[in-house]
Amino acid sequence: MAVIDINKEQFEQMIKGDKPVLVDFWAPWCGYCRRIGPAYEKIAETYGDRIVTAKVNIDEEAQLAEAEKVEVIPTLILYRNGAAVDSVVNPESKAAIDQFVRAALDK
Amino acid sequence: MQESHVYDMIVVGGGPGGYTAALYAARAGLETLVLEKLSAGGQMALTEEIDNYPGFEEGIDGFTLAQKMQRQAERFGAKSEYAEVESMDLTAFPKRLQTSEGDFFARTVVLATGANPRELGLADEAALTGRGVAYCAACDGMRYKGKTAVVVGGGNSAAADAMLLCRVAKKVILVHRRDTLRATKVYHAPLMQAENIEFCWNCIVTELLHEDKLSGVRLRNTITGEETTVPCDGVFISVGRKPATELVKGQLELDSSGYVVADETTRTNLPGVFAVGDVRTKPLRQVVTAVADGAAAVHMAEEFLAGGN
Repeated sequence: MAVIDINKEQFEQMIKGDKPVLVDFWAPWCGYCRRIGPAYEKIAETYGDRIVTAKVNIDEEAQLAEAEKVEVIPTLILYRNGAAVDSVVNPESKAAIDQFVRAALDK
Repeated sequence: MQESHVYDMIVVGGGPGGYTAALYAARAGLETLVLEKLSAGGQMALTEEIDNYPGFEEGIDGFTLAQKMQRQAERFGAKSEYAEVESMDLTAFPKRLQTSEGDFFARTVVLATGANPRELGLADEAALTGRGVAYCAACDGMRYKGKTAVVVGGGNSAAADAMLLCRVAKKVILVHRRDTLRATKVYHAPLMQAENIEFCWNCIVTELLHEDKLSGVRLRNTITGEETTVPCDGVFISVGRKPATELVKGQLELDSSGYVVADETTRTNLPGVFAVGDVRTKPLRQVVTAVADGAAAVHMAEEFLAGGN
């Protein structure tokens, strides 16, 4: 499954769904965000049957970013049953994202 | 790929040196794999505009250039894997690389792991990265629009960072442990003339002050011993780079700064192991010199493989 771009309304609906949702908070001007893009697509492929993989552009969804206390990007947050389970800031490798997702799903 | 598969060449690191080696190797008919932990480009991927890589007369951003290099190598059959290398046995035959995605084997290895910004080594520095501590003004400078930023260092990259930040920030404070800049002359006059730059000569940062985010730095004057507190929103650390050679320590010969000892043939002390780009000893670390290394490494690797290895 591919990564999907979502807005505040979609976010609010999605995180209440059956599947856990992984959200990448990013912005177009953020070099570090761009760098995790290709690895994030791979994550979406690998975990596609277990989680929804989404992206939120914090320039377009400033309110949502503020509500979720996202101050540094890229921040990845995993949500389950409407609540944040865990987050990671600027992961340095695809392996680090893998590890974060696996640990968060086990929580 | 079954575990026993042996590649002709494994390239560790997907920056310009690594993907140029992959391009040349794939075009030479070598079965080639690039192991990259995050995305193509290395340090270049965070460079907003590259104006000194020939052929792009309008300039090109580093991330896009990296993707082009990756696609070009892949067009000739090079493969890429997002894998973090955990250990390497470079003396075994075949050479063995243990990674987050399993073990890989190859007859030749091109080390293209590059370099990373050097840290100050202060308490909480890692935790505050992105929360006021930064290593790249071109990447993070915009966050300090109208704010106060400290730049630590006195070389070219510190000077360039200070110049960039003084156009964005309200105030820039340059902290340097000597009494004069090591940066080339072209930077001196514009820095001295900028109205919103202050200098703290002979000073080192001893502490990062913070709660959730950075709120200031503590400085010590190395001559008088006097300590001062400087409130600021961000600190840009620009004190040089360190090569990513942790994994090859004890196997490859390194110089006193940690760079892999290799001349322009890119050959290291181990047969079939080549070092390209910023990770090797060289006078100028640039995208153009990294890509030249990549081509040279493949030339030498073909010679090595032709010798029956």
